[in-house]
Amino acid sequence: MEKMELLAAAIMIGLAAFGAAIGNSNLFSKYIEGVARQPETRSTLFGQTMILFGLIEALPIIGVAMGILLLFNVIG
Amino acid sequence: MEITPKVTVAGLTFDLTIILATLLASVVVYGLVYFATRKVSMVPRGLQAGMEMVVDLIRGITEMTYDRKRAEKFVAFSITLFLFVLVANQIGVILMIASEVHSPIPALGITADKFHDGAAHVAWLKSPTADIGFAFTMAIAIALFANYMGIKTSFSNWIKPFRNPLHIVEELAKPTTHAMRLWANIFAGEILITILLTKFNPLVTALPVGVWIGFSLFVGMIQAYIFTVLANVYIGQKISGH
Repeated sequence: MEKMELLAAAIMIGLAAFGAAIGNSNLFSKYIEGVARQPETRSTLFGQTMILFGLIEALPIIGVAMGILLLFNVIG
Repeated sequence: MEITPKVTVAGLTFDLTIILATLLASVVVYGLVYFATRKVSMVPRGLQAGMEMVVDLIRGITEMTYDRKRAEKFVAFSITLFLFVLVANQIGVILMIASEVHSPIPALGITADKFHDGAAHVAWLKSPTADIGFAFTMAIAIALFANYMGIKTSFSNWIKPFRNPLHIVEELAKPTTHAMRLWANIFAGEILITILLTKFNPLVTALPVGVWIGFSLFVGMIQAYIFTVLANVYIGQKISGH
């Protein structure tokens, strides 16, 4: 039973990282594309990219926090 | 995972660590704003320049979410929220105080059943925002305030979206994600620092801890900003009508 819970925590953290990787790669590739097209918008785009990065990063980190809670309930 | 000293008074449990950290954050914010606004000069320097940057940043948020007439009213509220969450987020990264306790202290809720291998990790000072109750309190307070403002502005506009019952789910999901977003970021940041420092050889993990502390400072700033933006967006949605 304990092993299943460890596995659940691992899958939770892994899938959260997987989703965040896709989201962040989309975001930053578009950011680089935008800067390449219009270099003068770099500063405004960077600020907005960082805000969206924070919004994207929040959902996987909720998964990570839940996974950590599960891990600590199992191994103490 | 570390535990915190708790006191139960009349059936209510008070987390002393969170209360202390909240008080500390409030005092630091008050001090920051007090000393930044003494001896104001035309050419801003030092703390005053930093505070003016914060005011400009917040004014950008409010002008983005409200019409021109209302924007100025929400600047003070947003600056308070932003500075408080910012300082509260950084307390756990910069000033975390934790120790091992080897004998139970029943008065502080540190009982023998929480011990592992003869010791308990007790956090005496950590981020209040790393506590899920604290984050939910702030988010629910903001949700109630948003709905109060909506009813005050125009009851018919406020009640209109509820014709679709799914709107209730949305109303419940907003404060939940608002709180979880803040809590999970700060909690994961703190817990990873603790794990890296206590469960492994510190000589090996010195570099990762340094990198992660830098990232945690950055995340704390970004999340404080996002918390303020979302609070303003939620209030703005209720005020402006759909």
